[in-house]
Amino acid sequence: MITIFYLLGYLALLGFIVTAFLKIRSYMTKSPSHIRWELYPIPHEGKRAQYGGSYMEDVNWWEHKHEANHMGDLIFLIREILFLEATYHHNRSLWYRTYPFHVGLYFLMGGAIILIFEAILRMFGMSPECGFLWFVNGIIEIISLLGFFCLLGGGIGLIARRLTDEGLRMFSTAEHFISIGLFALFGLTGLITWLTNDSFSTLASNFVYNALTFNFESLGSGGFVLHMLIGYFLMILIPVSFMSHILLKYFLYHDIRWEDVATCTSKKRQDAINEILQYKVTWAAPHINPKGEDKTWVQVATSGYPCQDGDKKDA
Amino acid sequence: MKTIRKLTDISTVEGQLIEYDNNDLPDLPLDIEKRPYAPPSEQQKKDFCCDMLDGVSVLNIPRPKNPLEEEELVNKFLSGLKKLFEKENNWSFVNMLEGSMDCCAQCNSCSNACHLYEMSGKNVMYRPNFRSEILRRIYHQYVKKEPFAKLRYGDFPLNWKTVVRLGELAYRCNLCRRCAQVCPIGVDNGLIARELRKIFSQEMGFAPKEIHLKGTELQQQRGSSTGMTPDIVKENVEFIDEDYTEITGVGIETPFDKKGADILLIHNAGEVMAWPENIASFSLIFNAAGLNWTMSSKMLGYDGVNYGVFYDDAQTARIALQHFQAAKELGVKKIVIGECGHASKALNVIADRIIPYEMQVPREICYVTLNNIIKEGRLKLDPSRNNFPVTLHDPCNIVRLMGIVEPQREVLRAIAPQFREMPCHGVDNYCCGGGSGFAIMGRNNINVWRSNITGRKKMWQISEAFKDCLGPETKKYICAPCSNCKGQIRDILEENDLYTKNMFAYGGLVELIVNAMTDVTPGFIKWEAEEE
Repeated sequence: MITIFYLLGYLALLGFIVTAFLKIRSYMTKSPSHIRWELYPIPHEGKRAQYGGSYMEDVNWWEHKHEANHMGDLIFLIREILFLEATYHHNRSLWYRTYPFHVGLYFLMGGAIILIFEAILRMFGMSPECGFLWFVNGIIEIISLLGFFCLLGGGIGLIARRLTDEGLRMFSTAEHFISIGLFALFGLTGLITWLTNDSFSTLASNFVYNALTFNFESLGSGGFVLHMLIGYFLMILIPVSFMSHILLKYFLYHDIRWEDVATCTSKKRQDAINEILQYKVTWAAPHINPKGEDKTWVQVATSGYPCQDGDKKDA
Repeated sequence: MKTIRKLTDISTVEGQLIEYDNNDLPDLPLDIEKRPYAPPSEQQKKDFCCDMLDGVSVLNIPRPKNPLEEEELVNKFLSGLKKLFEKENNWSFVNMLEGSMDCCAQCNSCSNACHLYEMSGKNVMYRPNFRSEILRRIYHQYVKKEPFAKLRYGDFPLNWKTVVRLGELAYRCNLCRRCAQVCPIGVDNGLIARELRKIFSQEMGFAPKEIHLKGTELQQQRGSSTGMTPDIVKENVEFIDEDYTEITGVGIETPFDKKGADILLIHNAGEVMAWPENIASFSLIFNAAGLNWTMSSKMLGYDGVNYGVFYDDAQTARIALQHFQAAKELGVKKIVIGECGHASKALNVIADRIIPYEMQVPREICYVTLNNIIKEGRLKLDPSRNNFPVTLHDPCNIVRLMGIVEPQREVLRAIAPQFREMPCHGVDNYCCGGGSGFAIMGRNNINVWRSNITGRKKMWQISEAFKDCLGPETKKYICAPCSNCKGQIRDILEENDLYTKNMFAYGGLVELIVNAMTDVTPGFIKWEAEEE
């Protein structure tokens, strides 16, 4: 039975990697180049970013090299991840609930990364009893406890808000409640395991070590197994639900909101446009393609207008 | 009053979906009337789906006469929705759209930022995510046919009423993208509204007549959405030159079709008809600054309007292409777009990735050109001529969507001693209320809706900017350097008699510059209330 538990863990991880990869690949390969759709302020615009300005504020801007300060993007992103600043500024009542929820996740994800490093050290012969790993386990104890509290508290707060706020309730689906509820349950089972076992960090450390060394040994805690099974399910759920914003937020910011590359400065973009304009168009309205011919975007843009038959059905 | 209880009401409710009480609309320091809607006639109701949403009808879709026509409407809609997610048909937006469809957490941050939602008395139907969430559920269930869609989102009924109401809902948004700016995830409900408009125009053949038949189509037939042909526009501009030579005391001559000029100036041709002082001001300034510039009399070369950006990708590309061709033929070094927000964004940003680079000509926003003229000291200016309170409206298309924020402010700081900002200015601005085509629409209660709801927040901003000097005693100037924004502001000022009650004048940036030019006869800017 315990072997199945470990195997499910591998499957969940594999499932997460594959679905996350497919999600990101789908975004990246869907179009060679989308339209420019930037939204200011853009943090890589240097001093101008403070008030939302762009390089197009310069006379003959195309004659100057556009120096994008990508440190600005990075700093913005780090601040956004660490403090959820957009929510803080624009939806404060939500921030009080979603911030602890996200901080709880950060603690637990950070703990998982530390546990992987610890397992590697153990694989290289370091004893789990040694002083350094004792110290590391102490950190794990603290951040896991904080993580469980934050996740549980934030999760309950988010669910309560969805139930009590009339505007939110109308837009909330079963998926919202199930996803957030599962995260809260993950926090609750973690908290119970933490409280009812001698050392949560030892359980977690042994689990990661066993998983990495393919040693399917019992951990001696049914609570921990249940806690991890919920975690497995969440790993599968994230990329296929609205929580995929964890994966796509980077693109929605960097590739849409902040993507201000002018075509005159990018040969890659120039080539992409010429390729794209050869795509076939099948939009059916009369003004697009009055005779229903086989047309590319170039042909649509250079012919077939104005609408000859005047039969467009507006009034 | 009729309100929405659940999202599926869009498919199930008979008759009008919502009715709101004018008493729910927020009061303003300015005396803006809360106007009632005029009910449509029985014949209109019989012929068109004009009474199904909120008392306003933009698309006026013909009412289906039998179940077959009802089914056809749904099938065409689904066919268009499917095409939105195809690379070939929608390469320009598909991955952005998919990202916005997949990731929304329904946190409602967007609603807090939306002037329509706020100024409708927080009616749920005007939330930016209302139409998006309905479209999202239809997409998952009927287009993607996800196996667990009903379980995840609930079973969403889809029928002709859903389709008709979604079409109308696509036109309950100014496309200002303030909601997208505040979204913590990066979801763009403005983009979704525009994509929805595309289904109706590009697949089903429904678009508001003002932006399609009398907009992009007329522009391609005659050369301008105003209907002015090349000969007429040249003639009109000649008249403007004569009139304003007399008014300003400075000889004005607008050059046309000057080969090899440095700059091709493309106005929104609506200015020629409605605000000739704007045309004259540009000519006067550019001549006084010694610029080597010209206008074009080639078809479309004299009208920078591109209403395609509001609803249709093919029309956008066709018009942008012809703007570039006009510039290429003259061999100019750059195109400067006059004071028009959507035209500026269309040619500067949107066209940048839909027209092959070899066919493009560099473009510049006129605020930048004007600021440079003033910074280089090319004009003799006396700022004391503008010694009255001035506030600045930021056109969304130029400010939030292009990042042109400071040049126009630098000009104002140089020429208007009493310049003051509105609350929520710069990239945090609010739409004038006429954005995405509404400024030129007035039928079927659209004018009332613009006055009651969409334009209300802008009027709040204006009243706050001038709160120390409201009333008829002090002359005040609302600088709105965008043709459509000016139209929207004009309509609200006129309808509510605010010229007299508050001694407002409105206009562009160039009029203020000319008003400060020492060579010009004083008093270029006129206050309606003084004229009466």
